Amino acid sequence: MTHYITRRSFLKLSAAAAGTLAIGQLLPPMVAQAATDAGLLNAHGDGYIPSMCEMCVWRCGLIAKVKDGRVVKLDGNPDHPHSKGHLCVRGQSGVMNTYDPDRVLDPLIRVGQRGEGKFRIASWDEALDLTANKMLAIKDTYGPEAMVFSSTHNLSQPQFENILYAFGSPNYGTQRSLCFNAMIVANLMTYGMEEPERIYDDQLEYVILTGRNLMEAISTSETSALSDGIARGMKVVYLDPRFTKTAAKATEWLPIKPGTDLAFHLALLNVIVTEDLYNHSFVNDYTVGFEHLAQEIETYTPEWAAPITEISAETIRRIAREFAAAAPHALAHNGWRTSNFINSFHTQRAITILNTLVGNWNVALRASGGESSSALGAPPQPPYPRSSAQRLDGVPSRYPVVPLKLGVFQELRESILSGEPYQAHGWFISRQNPVMSLPDRARTLAAFEKMDFIATVDIIMNDTAWFSDVVLPEASYLERYDPLSPVGDRVFLRQPVIEPQGNAKSALWIYKQLGERLGLGDYFQYEDEEDYIRQQLAPLGVTLEEVRSKGYAELPPADDPGFEWNTPSGKIEIYSETLANVNFPAVPTWQAPPEPPQGQFYLLTGKVAQSTQFGTQNNQLLHKYSDEPRLWINNNIAAERNLADGDWVEVTSEVGQVHIHLQVTPAIRPDCVYLPPGYGHLSKGLTTAFGIGASDSVLHVTYSDPISGSQALSQTFVTVRKA
Amino acid sequence: MAEHSKSPRYGFLIDASLCIDCRSCMVACSVENKVSMDSTRIWIKETGITGNYPDLKRFTAPYHCMHCKDPSCVSACTVSALTRTDDGIVAYNKDICIGCRYCMYACPFEVPNYEWDERFPLVVKCDMCFSRLEEGQQPACAATCPTNAIRFGRYETMLAEAHRLITEHPDKYVQHVYGETENGGTATLYISPVPFEELGFPEAGTTSPAYSNRLVTEGTPMVAGAMLVGLSGTYLTIKHLKEEAAKERQEAEQTKASHTEEDGK
Repeated sequence: MTHYITRRSFLKLSAAAAGTLAIGQLLPPMVAQAATDAGLLNAHGDGYIPSMCEMCVWRCGLIAKVKDGRVVKLDGNPDHPHSKGHLCVRGQSGVMNTYDPDRVLDPLIRVGQRGEGKFRIASWDEALDLTANKMLAIKDTYGPEAMVFSSTHNLSQPQFENILYAFGSPNYGTQRSLCFNAMIVANLMTYGMEEPERIYDDQLEYVILTGRNLMEAISTSETSALSDGIARGMKVVYLDPRFTKTAAKATEWLPIKPGTDLAFHLALLNVIVTEDLYNHSFVNDYTVGFEHLAQEIETYTPEWAAPITEISAETIRRIAREFAAAAPHALAHNGWRTSNFINSFHTQRAITILNTLVGNWNVALRASGGESSSALGAPPQPPYPRSSAQRLDGVPSRYPVVPLKLGVFQELRESILSGEPYQAHGWFISRQNPVMSLPDRARTLAAFEKMDFIATVDIIMNDTAWFSDVVLPEASYLERYDPLSPVGDRVFLRQPVIEPQGNAKSALWIYKQLGERLGLGDYFQYEDEEDYIRQQLAPLGVTLEEVRSKGYAELPPADDPGFEWNTPSGKIEIYSETLANVNFPAVPTWQAPPEPPQGQFYLLTGKVAQSTQFGTQNNQLLHKYSDEPRLWINNNIAAERNLADGDWVEVTSEVGQVHIHLQVTPAIRPDCVYLPPGYGHLSKGLTTAFGIGASDSVLHVTYSDPISGSQALSQTFVTVRKA
Repeated sequence: MAEHSKSPRYGFLIDASLCIDCRSCMVACSVENKVSMDSTRIWIKETGITGNYPDLKRFTAPYHCMHCKDPSCVSACTVSALTRTDDGIVAYNKDICIGCRYCMYACPFEVPNYEWDERFPLVVKCDMCFSRLEEGQQPACAATCPTNAIRFGRYETMLAEAHRLITEHPDKYVQHVYGETENGGTATLYISPVPFEELGFPEAGTTSPAYSNRLVTEGTPMVAGAMLVGLSGTYLTIKHLKEEAAKERQEAEQTKASHTEEDGK
């Protein structure tokens, strides 16, 4: 059974956190000056301010209710296409992100041993001078490439990249190889774009979700669209080894064997090709290489796939026929966190080709400009210096088709440990938590030990900050500006709904200050955050004041590429010459993933609705309404092994061991266990989250997909026994 | 009796087929209403995971005050801290509440919650986000629900919509609108793909025990000793009425079921 909140039971907060009940009442109000000047707040500091959420990377539009200069409530902005008036559970908890009593509100300099958690408060000048001096010393002694930079998917990332490229280091770590390299590289090879936009219109009839747990890994507007579709009778086939909350809503749940989604999709392709169910005119007009595919998938029959996937041949054949019959109003979803096994790239390619064969382009999928817009201005800056050093993550030498801005983060960590091809000495980290996010935490901490200097920018003492030498406190997303965010035909503004508390500062300010101290001031030609945004808005002929009250400005309509793709052939590439040229299979090919030895389980990971990665477990509101993180195990297996619900168990992989309570449930395959992610924090600066759950990063073994560089997060096998 | 039964102005329509147990409503409500960290105005009712692997099912629904037409809690409250407004909102005035928790015993839906860890605890319950309504906004839970499992509007509209949905989709919903007749009728209405007992909803009769309560409480003077008598009186009344209600509800469901068959739909 699962354990849910009743009228009286909550996860208890630790003693330090209990009692801070009234949100934000401990700190003086910080009335937002610009919003007051713009008339959004009255003389009492009351009013509504549009801005943008940052509780995950979906970035919904929000409207903040401010009272007496304090933000008291967040609602979804109806004008933003990602929120459409709604906010998810994390978005709703955003006030507690800003008013977290564990916020770091002053620059900190380490005084004890790394990981001991002893810091002293410093001025910004001292902390920034120290950071710049250490970075320059490393550059002078070892070259700029000895500094590693890492940051994750945020709006100020262009200015972060300015620091690293202007500094001259090629070593850039993003989270993408831990999340969706497989999907993005596959889309680039097939469509020449990172991620086509999915179209959920009233005609969409059929959706295949390959592990895309939209009801728990919530992207508000897409979750709403899927739910609306199901309500009006759209069919949803959901592949997942777990009976998740999405499985509970899907028309059909298929508890597929982990690592075999590729076989399932190859068999769908087989049926659609051999039974001649594909869209001939679309394939003829807009694709290249169909004949190579037809040849490759000849043997991938449903009968072949059935014993591999543990889904019957009849079911696979039926789904292929249903999908083709519903086309073009049929969508095979790419998934979200797609780095599961070292064959995940081929799985992703097979999904793109399934969509292609039924010709759903501009019906269920269409071109997306991504998260940038050429219509916006930018501060002027000189060209970057040339860096001749090899990248530590092996891109592009070992990973020739992985884009530089994606990288292979876990391999970067491996090179820090090996010192090959050269030794890194410093690490500048912003809004990222490699201690928790990279597989094999012990190795990440060992890599930290190799560093002469580590600086981290964050709003709380996350686990990486805990092991850093300098912690630079960023203003929360409700306290700061960020560069503008284009979504569709609008560009949205994040603006302060309160002034930063304590001495916290925006990333735009921190990067500029650091850049100037590094002698890179020419790359930061903006007076302040408002000036940066004004320069972005200049070509649109819109003032910041106009954007401030509405929260967005209209963009000129983008060119519709229609049926053209930015691939070498200009068409959708079923067969990829790019892949063939570097000796990778040019059409999706079956590769059997490893299986757990007798007596061991696949260790599954996957999101819960109340947390985003590793950064939200300390939010008291989310903590209050979360289930206790426990290890799921199938009820029949538990009975066989004499394990009971609530048992304290020892979970061991080849690289680590954790202890956690057991959750006995029928909602998981017998050969799998599942650990809710993001828990098991090391930082005692997280007084709410510390001591809760266990870290899957401790257990994860490092395996990279040779093509996309994706970390294979489900390819870790564990034993479970009563502790 | 008449003023107690007046039809509510506003109503919720909560659809268990749409709830994904994400708890946005719970957090939205807690922030909007500054609910203390040891309490909640909303919680999740659920079937648990039913069936045998791999044929599994699970349904959930957010659960909060039903806003009865004739609220038992109002009649049980000896100090009138709980009242039913002209709009049909069962409102709570913390400045008057003495923390006696009669309402918690009286409510057939087990709704009023308590600030268990506070030194001077108060009762915690939904007031339809009264202050948001005044500003023309939807209650926080309904406004944010990503799947529209919680809808809010004019009571008549919600009731009509509930009937439209269960009538048009007899294969998808059980043929009962929970709250239409329960406890004499409530402003919060539910529809569900599974019988409400399976979701853990209390069985409530079609009449409110409030009338019987009033016989006890309205004659009770506000003195400590007498309150004790009132409490046991209320408890016994409720216990008796709950047993009756269960029986009554069973009969009603049987009647409904046979009607549906007769209609041949």
